[in-house]
This record gives sequence, C-alpha cells and structure tokens, in this order.
Amino acid sequence: MIVKVFEGREGHIQQKGDGLPLACNNESLAGAVSQRACVYSGARVVLNPITDALHLVHGPIGCASYTWDIRGSTSSGPDLYRNSFSTDMKELDVVFGGEKKLAASLRELAERYHPPAIFVYSTCIVGIIGDDLRSVCRRASEELGIPVLPVKSEGFRGNKNEGYKAACNALNELIGTRNYTPSHPSINLLGEYNVAGDLWFVKPFFLEMGIEVVAALTGDARVAEIERAHTAQLNLVQCSGSMTYLAKKMEEKYGIPYRRISFFGLQDMSNALRTVAEFFASPELKQKAEEIIRRETARVMPQIEAYRAKVAGRKAAIYMGGAAKAVSLVRAFQELGMEVVIIGTQTGDRDDYQKIACIVKNGTVIIDDANPLELKELLFKQKADLLVAGVKERFLAYKMGIAFCDFNHDRTTNFEGYVGMVNFAREVSITINSPVWQLPVKRASRIGNASQLSITAGNENYVQEPCHS
Amino acid sequence: MSKSLATVNPCSMCMPMGSVMVFRGIEGCMPLFHGSQGCSTYMRLYLAHHFREPVDIASSALSEKGAVYGGAANLKQGLKNVIKGYRPKAIGIATTCLAETIGDDVPQIVREFQAEEPLAKDVTIISVSTPSYAASHEVGYRVALKGLVQTMARKSEQSGRINILVGAIISPADVRFLRRFLDDWGLGYILMPDISETFDAALSQDSPLIPAGGTPLDDIRDTANSKATLTIGGWVQEPGAGDYLEKEFGVPHIALPIPLGLEFTDRMAANLEELTGLSMPESYERERGRLLDTMVDAHKLLADVKTAVYGDTEMVLGITRIMTELGMRPQIVATGAANPAFAEKAAELAPGAKVMIGADFSQIAAEASSRDIELMVGPFTGRGIARKEKVPLLRVGLPNHDRYGASHQLFQGYEGSMHLVDCMANVLLEDKEREVQHERRVQAGAVSE
Repeated sequence: MIVKVFEGREGHIQQKGDGLPLACNNESLAGAVSQRACVYSGARVVLNPITDALHLVHGPIGCASYTWDIRGSTSSGPDLYRNSFSTDMKELDVVFGGEKKLAASLRELAERYHPPAIFVYSTCIVGIIGDDLRSVCRRASEELGIPVLPVKSEGFRGNKNEGYKAACNALNELIGTRNYTPSHPSINLLGEYNVAGDLWFVKPFFLEMGIEVVAALTGDARVAEIERAHTAQLNLVQCSGSMTYLAKKMEEKYGIPYRRISFFGLQDMSNALRTVAEFFASPELKQKAEEIIRRETARVMPQIEAYRAKVAGRKAAIYMGGAAKAVSLVRAFQELGMEVVIIGTQTGDRDDYQKIACIVKNGTVIIDDANPLELKELLFKQKADLLVAGVKERFLAYKMGIAFCDFNHDRTTNFEGYVGMVNFAREVSITINSPVWQLPVKRASRIGNASQLSITAGNENYVQEPCHS
Repeated sequence: MSKSLATVNPCSMCMPMGSVMVFRGIEGCMPLFHGSQGCSTYMRLYLAHHFREPVDIASSALSEKGAVYGGAANLKQGLKNVIKGYRPKAIGIATTCLAETIGDDVPQIVREFQAEEPLAKDVTIISVSTPSYAASHEVGYRVALKGLVQTMARKSEQSGRINILVGAIISPADVRFLRRFLDDWGLGYILMPDISETFDAALSQDSPLIPAGGTPLDDIRDTANSKATLTIGGWVQEPGAGDYLEKEFGVPHIALPIPLGLEFTDRMAANLEELTGLSMPESYERERGRLLDTMVDAHKLLADVKTAVYGDTEMVLGITRIMTELGMRPQIVATGAANPAFAEKAAELAPGAKVMIGADFSQIAAEASSRDIELMVGPFTGRGIARKEKVPLLRVGLPNHDRYGASHQLFQGYEGSMHLVDCMANVLLEDKEREVQHERRVQAGAVSE
C-alpha cells in the first residue's frame, strides 16, 4: 500500500498495475472524514439547475441553508432556483409529523411564486418520522394544478449515487407530460449543468449543425423543456454517474438511444460532435461537424499551445465527485502534456474504475472515496504539482504549497467547449506557475538560522508520521 | 408580509454548525457529527468557503442500518478512527437530527467507548445535543460552550484569572484583538473558544493534522477556579457556560454585549477594570480617542443613513449600537434566531426600527422594499436583497462566501469599531460614485435607463 489507510479502506486505493478490482460504491467509513455528502446532496445538485422550478426542502433548516444557491449553474432567464425554500421543521413537527406543514407550505409557495413545478426533497428526519411525501405531493399536485414531485432523498439511505437516482426518478415523472414536435434532428443533453455558463459554449455548435436541443438536463433548464424531453431522437449523456440511470429509463420508455460524451477537452468536444453526426448517419452533418472542429481547433490551438509550453511535464492529481469528469480530465491533461499521478472519485462504480485504469499509466494511484489524510499523503508521495478538485480540497492543497484548479460545481470559469479548454489551460498554468510558490516560507535572518525554503520546497515536512493504521 | 409557514432564504444555520465554531477553538480538538455523512461534508464546505481554510469534521456516517438499529457501533468506530487518524487531544461530538430522532444515548455510548477502548484513555470527549430542528446555530454554539465546561471544569486552587468567554461568533482577527488587548492589559485570563489561529492558520512548513492553537484543555479545566467570568457577546443569550460556572463553582458571571462601538467597548473595559483594579493601558485610551475622532470625521456622511442590519444576535446589536452612536438610522434590525431578549434590546437601541426575530430573507426583503434602505450590513446571504434594492451591502459575519478576508475582518474593540466606521463610509461613497458615473454615462447617451 502506497500510503497508510484506515482499517477497512485497504481495498479502496491502488496503484495501476496492482491488478485487483477497486472497492467502491459502498458506505463511507465512520471517522474517516469522507469528502462525500449525502443522498439529499446528490439529488439536489442534479435538480437544482432547473431555473424556474421551486425547490422545497422538507426538513430542518440546515439542509436548506447549506445548499442555498450552492451550484455555479447559471440561468439565461428565471432565477427562482437561486432561492432556498424549506419547511424548517421544528421539534413539534418531528413529534407530530410534518405532513400538514408541508401541504400548507406547498399551497402558500405556489400561490406566492407561481412555479411551473415544485420538487420536494425529503431529508434524514422525514425518513425516520415517516411522513408520506408521495401522497402529500399527489394531493398538492391535484389541488394546485402543477407537478409536485417528491424526491426521495433521505440523507442516510446510501451515498450520493442514491440521490442521483432519486433525482432521475423525479425527472422521469416530469418527462413525457407535454406534447411537442421538434425539428429533425434533435437531441437532449443529459448531465450538462451549465456550471459557469458551460452550456452556452457548447449548444451553439449543435445549433450550427442544424440540430435542435430539446432539453438540457438540467443546466439552464425550464420545466416545460424537461416535460417534452421525450420527443428528442438522441440523448447525449455527459455526467454519466448522475444521468445514465435516466438515459436508460428514457430508452426503455420512449426508445431514445443514448451516447456517452463529454464536452471538456478538445478531443472529447470534437468527438461529441462526431458522435451526433454519426448517429444521424448524415454526410451533411458529418461535414458540418468536421468544419466546426477544424475552425474551432484552429482558433484556440495557438493559445493552448502557449499554455502547454508552460505546464508540460508537470504532474496532476484529480479528485472528482463523478468519474466521467475524471476520465475527461485525463485526456485533457494529455492535451496539455501533463501526467496524471493520482485519480480518484467520490462515487465511481466498478465500470468507471476499470475505464480509468485503462487510460492512466502504470503507477498512477486510483482512489475511491478519499479523505484528507490519504489525499495529503498521496499528493506528497506522488509529487503532484497540481490538484484538480473542489473547494474542500482547495485549501488542503494550498496549505501544502500545491497548485489547485477548481473543477467542481461552484467554479466560476467556463471549462467546456473549445474556449473552455483555453480557460482551463490558463487556469492550470497560472496556478502552477504563480510566483507565490517561490516565496520563502521562512524569512532569511542574519542572526538566526532560518532557512529560505520556498513553500513548495518545504513539502517533505508536510506529512506527519502516518498513524492511522 | 405575514410570517409564512415555509422559510424562504434562511438567515440562520443549524445547531451542529455552532458547535463546530466552538470545538474548533479548542486545542487539539476534532469535531465529530453523529449523523449521516452529509452534515459534516456540508458544513466543511460552508466553512471552507468562509474561512478559506481546510476544515476537517468527522462523521459517524450513519446509514440505513444505523438508523434502524441505533448508531452506537458507527459512533464508536468513528471515534476510534478519529483517534487513530488525527491523534486529537479532545473530540467534540455534536448530534444531528438523525441521531436525536432515532434516540441514541450519546453520553452512554461515549462512556462505553471510554471503558472499552484503550486508545480513548488520553482523549477528552465532549458530547452535546444539537438537533437542527431545535434551534439555530447560535444556540448550538452556546450549548457546545456550556458542554465544554460541564464536561471539563474542575474545582482546585483559586487562580485569580478571569474567564473571557467568547459568547458569539466573531472573526479570527477579532479574537486576536481580544488576546492582544488582554495581554497588553497584563491580566491573567482564559480565553475560550479561541479560533484566532485554528480558522486562520499561517502558511508554514508543517501543517499539523489538527490546526495549531485553540484554548488549552488545562485552561478549560481551570475555568472553575477563576475569580470571574465575562461572556463577551452573551448579552441576550440564555444561560450558558458562564452561568454554569457561577452556579456550580461560585465564579461570578457577567454577560456583556460584544465590544463594538464606543459604549459597548467602554463597558467591557470598565468591567475589566473593576475586576482587576488595573486601568486600561494608555495605548488603548489613545485608540479610543482615534475611534472618537473617526466617528466625528464621518458623522455627516453617515447622518440619517437608513440601514438594515441582520445576522447573528450579538453582532447585530453591536452594529446597531455604533450606528446610532453615529447618527445613522437603523430601519431593520433582524436576526434568524428566535430570541425574544434580542427583540427587547434591539427596540431599546433603535427606537422606530422594525425589529425582527426568527426572520428569513423573504421577510427582510419585504420590509426593505418599503423603507428606503441605503445601506445593508450583515452576512453575504443578504446579497439578493441588496441587488434587488440596489443598495450597497457591507459583508460582516458568517457566512461570507463571495468576498475575501472574512477571517481578517476586525470589528471588535476601539480599533475594530474604527474599521467598521471606515468601511461603512467607504461603501456608501463608492456606491455614490458609481451612481454619479452611471448618470453621466446615461446623460452622454452611452447607456440606456
């Protein structure tokens, strides 16, 4: 084992070449400080970007406070989703049940905000006291004349993956409830959340190819778009962890095939366009796709080459929520001439990790459901120059003198599409090449014997004697 | 708008959050939530955004099985792993809704753990009951602070020191100020909790598993032997650690507002003088003079400015006080906490203002739109209102996720109050300048409206 791990975590970490399948998709270990959140969080991040929906959290106030406007998902219009609605359950609600309060809240909120649909999220406590969310929602839906969709997301009922499923089930109820005839050809974008406006750097290419995007799920989505999503001819699935489940349901129910794609990185973005052209078997579409690919690649290549020259050869560590993004990042780092030395996810499954093992080099550490202690030691031992992860990991990296790139749902820079790759390359370069890493951690002193080590050079002292075994 | 059933845009957080703010101010202490994994991850994320520091909070990671059969096994495993992984001197356990609702007897589980587990021998374990549905983060904070002295304080020899309890959430810079102030005064004291280093650590070559700093455990034990307790920011709080020490060990307790503004800072100084018989150091008299000078300098700019102040109770009262000292006119004085004592004091401090308790931002927004607010002061969560009302917002307090420097905001004491005056004045001036620029551009036809 490359680092010491908690008892019970041995199977969750390996170096490519070890051979064994990675343990994954199970409960987090108590006391290990997993970076994962809960079922509710999984459901919330999937549904929250639906801009005109009202998202009501049925539970105590905390769950709503910490997820208020949590995603960097942007809207081109409505902003109801940027509010936080909660039934704010109190002691009495816990004792006597929260159904009445929920029903009254739904009525009141519908009257005040006139949303086209309401999602009602259940939290830990609702699962324990046994409120019947489904029937409250059904009755409210009949009374209010809008879809009121229960999202079964009690925090303790599994990990984030269960939350994705709960969200997909709610979406599944919404899809197919509105008639529509799209133009030909037409697609949906599943698992595209319009973080930092990503969608707007991708969708125009499909439009240019003459393809109608019926719905993006759920980035910058409107309820009405989702209701008619069943009319598209093809589902493109980007964030596979969250949306493959829905894609399969739509295939079963409506016969819509799906393809896994990614809009991140030049290769993946180009492949996404080609995938669509090939699916519709149209020489004209293929030609248009190639035109766009040629034009856009030529447009951004000089900038990317310039950044590549500044970062090539450096070592990257990846720790993502889902596996799809992690895989895409490996290819993007190849495009920048960088080597991936650690790759991990919170919620990857066996297939994901097999795929990851195929594309990384021997010796790369693959880790499932990591924690700060393991990450810290791994970053040091694998001599990473850069960590790509989310906010919780950002400051862990910084304290170690390691560059960091935010690739989570609260990032504010667009990374998808051709321009997005330039932004990504720039961000990687500015953090790796920043002068701050060269500043002396200790002041040179004429009377003491203070060293002049830079932040980065001090790394060997970061890892305290590992003791958690 | 009448009080609605649903909460729309909350102006408060949950009880376990408050406990973290206390436990992280204790030397070598690791917080652990007994509940589902999400609670700890969410609060880690929330605090990392605010402090821009790594924040580790363990979880007993309760699953369906634990929810049905009880969480004892998970909690014990969690404690054991935290001890092995982090080598803490103390562990602060806070319960969550889930643990409370399934009815786990946490103190009993802890006793069992301490009896069974040799590793637990050198670790102090404090457990507090903090279900989110019971009250806000402020109550969680008070309960955790009280839990610390209840678990640890022991009567031995009189120390002659003074307990300075930080009864409200203030910034690491504010706590650093308190320390400096007390050090300069040259009096013996115990400051608790102390987040001055733990939530605002210097970059250094060794980053320990648990951030350095915090109130030493021995000091917490010794709080029973001090000659008095001052709770700074305990003005409108229900009985807490200070009252417990008074009742249990006869340590007299005085609860004060936070030292924000001239009067409240004077009040803290006067109490310290009375307790110690030592005068405030001359350098602070000069600082006081500088605050006064600053207030005089800014008085015309700030005169009659209509404000909305919201956030944590003690902070809001302190800010309201300095506003009235300056001739500003607080129109809305609001908190998310359901705290009637706050309402009483707020009404005294700012007659005529709309005082709100248990408020959410939809209610504050409704009031703001009819009161010609010119300046908002409070956490960043009020930004939606500020945007809508086109009013400048000075971000003060937790949470502040969209600006830098939350850890470095010094608003306590004479010097801190001076900063606050400067900040309010400058925010208003910058806003005015933007407005003037905009008008000029409209006149020049460069932009519409």
